[in-house]
Amino acid sequence: MSSSRTETGAALVDVTMPQMGVSVSEGTIVAWRVSVGDTVAYEETVCDISTDKIDTELPSPAAGVVAEILVDVEQTVPVGAVLARLSVSGGDGAAAASDSDDSPAPEAAAQDVTGMEAAPTDMDTPAAPVRTTGSNGPRYSPVVQRVAEAHGIDLSTVVGTGRGGRVRKQDVMALVNGNGDAGTAGTGVAEGPPLHIESPYRPDPVPTPGPAAAPASAPAGGGQLSRMRRTIGEHMKRSLEVSATCTTWIEVDMSRVEAARARVGVTALSFVARACVLALREYPALNAWMDGDKYSRFDNEVHLGIAVSLGEDGLIVPVVRDAHQLSVEGLAARIRDLAKRSRSGQLSPDDVRGGTFTITNPGQYGSIMATPIINQPQVAILDLEAVVKRPVVVTDADGNDSIAIRPMTILGLSWDHRTLDGALSAQFLAAVKRNLETQQL
Amino acid sequence: MAALTYLQAISSALRDEMRADERVMLMGEDIGVFGGAFKVTDGFIDEFGPDRVMDTPLAESAIIGCAVGAAAVGLRPVCEMQFSDFISCGFDQLVNVAGKMYYRQGLAVPLVVRLPSGGGFSGGPFHSQNPEAWFMHAPGLKVVAPSTAEDAKGLLHSAIHDPNPVCYMEHKHLYRRVKGEVPEGVFEAPFTARVAQAGSDLVVIAYGAMVPLALEAASDGLDGASIEVLDLRSLVPLDEDAILDSVARCSKVVILDEANATCAAGAQVAALIAEKAFEDLDGPVVRVASPDVPIPFSPPLEQAVLPSVERVREACRELLAY
Repeated sequence: MSSSRTETGAALVDVTMPQMGVSVSEGTIVAWRVSVGDTVAYEETVCDISTDKIDTELPSPAAGVVAEILVDVEQTVPVGAVLARLSVSGGDGAAAASDSDDSPAPEAAAQDVTGMEAAPTDMDTPAAPVRTTGSNGPRYSPVVQRVAEAHGIDLSTVVGTGRGGRVRKQDVMALVNGNGDAGTAGTGVAEGPPLHIESPYRPDPVPTPGPAAAPASAPAGGGQLSRMRRTIGEHMKRSLEVSATCTTWIEVDMSRVEAARARVGVTALSFVARACVLALREYPALNAWMDGDKYSRFDNEVHLGIAVSLGEDGLIVPVVRDAHQLSVEGLAARIRDLAKRSRSGQLSPDDVRGGTFTITNPGQYGSIMATPIINQPQVAILDLEAVVKRPVVVTDADGNDSIAIRPMTILGLSWDHRTLDGALSAQFLAAVKRNLETQQL
Repeated sequence: MAALTYLQAISSALRDEMRADERVMLMGEDIGVFGGAFKVTDGFIDEFGPDRVMDTPLAESAIIGCAVGAAAVGLRPVCEMQFSDFISCGFDQLVNVAGKMYYRQGLAVPLVVRLPSGGGFSGGPFHSQNPEAWFMHAPGLKVVAPSTAEDAKGLLHSAIHDPNPVCYMEHKHLYRRVKGEVPEGVFEAPFTARVAQAGSDLVVIAYGAMVPLALEAASDGLDGASIEVLDLRSLVPLDEDAILDSVARCSKVVILDEANATCAAGAQVAALIAEKAFEDLDGPVVRVASPDVPIPFSPPLEQAVLPSVERVREACRELLAY
């Protein structure tokens, strides 16, 4: 943390917007818990912040008195921006009060080992409740430190491609083998694999609020849209702008699923998810990303986004990673866990990134058809609506037709006509239908 | 060169040794008239006679005790434990008598104990164990564990020629599943590790039946990562140079044991890496092994306990992403 000493001997400590995930570049102040003049304890919550779709609390980097609050509620600032300053008395031995050189904080110790200059501000940020690297700051493995030291690479400038942005051996070796232009890292290092960990949620341009038209009469409610609503709105609008969205429906007899789910005790969604994963293995063209004009198809893995409603607040799409490895029961357990954590605000940024296909399931209110909007940069989304008993014509083994009562549902698939055509989408839907109607899932 | 199964390679090594050296003799339960529980010594009694292919009582302590005496006076006995699990009955003769004979009395004990080991066939808790680590812990014994047909033959020749007591771990699951070109006649495979597959992003260190498993896991499903597979072949002596060389190149390590995890051979490898390769590591040393439970008889439970291709892939994927 950067700090400066005032003439009275007290030091000012910055409270900064923390880095909470690879793709997070900015955050919004939701509420201040402290006011100027308040005394705060080390790690006491000073404010609530919101980044992308994740809300979290920001702990104080030091014990002290709030000297200044620099960012207002609802204001969005980049990672590393100073949010407030704490006045910390110089002589009371508080860790954060001292200059960063003799601070006992782990990140300072790491800098001593590497012999690096002070890291940029965002790395000095105190640990956020959302754990991304499992430590209080960037830690480098022995081999990364050794290679960096041998080649004079400043690790704080290297863009990591490992979990949580961790700098891997490959990242420093790319610099060493690349151009020898080590000091100006970050260029060309993160080119390859990061697609797999990059969030589909791109940083949003700050909306420029236009002058609102005067309402005809006073509204009963409303006000400035929440950050989540604005984010959802922008994603949905952009999806419709970039994708050539078409929707195809298919009717599915859910008799087998209804019988099985009574037996296994899981929701129909879990069966549809499993049927969908199997169909995606058959038709991987739908298990893909379209980013600009770059099409990336995933043949060996399915990371399944599941839309979870947060009531009036909006919705969130956590991702079941490696869904292709899970049974129906396994999918059900993971979906339950993600939904629970979505609603209690305990998702980490890593829980919402990397999806390759999404399922949305708003059918519990009885609606039967929808035209879902594709979750960019994915190329298709499956919509599961209500399962409704209907009279249908069934044909027995001898070819005799009769009318029977069957639990039916209509699956809707919105797909991107830039990358797919209707025939393939229909084949995919038919495969999902076949899996649900005839396969042991 | 002939294509032999792992089991035929073991038979071939025994037969070639017995033809070449009249001091070599076999002892074990049902190895003579019946030809061995797994038919490794099928027909041996007809060629070499009951004096050199001895059917013994069901008494492992007696088998190894007699073999120690025979070795001490100049013979080259090869004992078969019908299942490696049964060696616990001969533990004292092997660990305390054979293993310390040279240290105490200066007498060489050129003895080989063949230990058909490992699970995967619903043999249950008494017929599926991998007891190699017990003997790694006992000074004076060598421990080898081939994974290919060629090494099955070459390491058995080396073991028989070695002046020390050698535990030769032969994995039952490989007996008829592994087949390969094997040189004819007597040849030695060194007690060193072997790079089964070269790679640069991550090394899987394994031995015995876990080597083919590692190769299968590395064959696909890892997004084209370059995976090295190091086959230890010998656990005592342990080829430190080869292990450290692989770690230096790959920097990420998954260590694979079929044995129960605690104090398994892989634990020793992990300790070695922590001590001598710290500066080369780019991630935690990851181990995949059987949990510390008896091997279940039930086929699905056994499959859940033993390391699987998927578990190895998952461990690799996690570590590659680290």
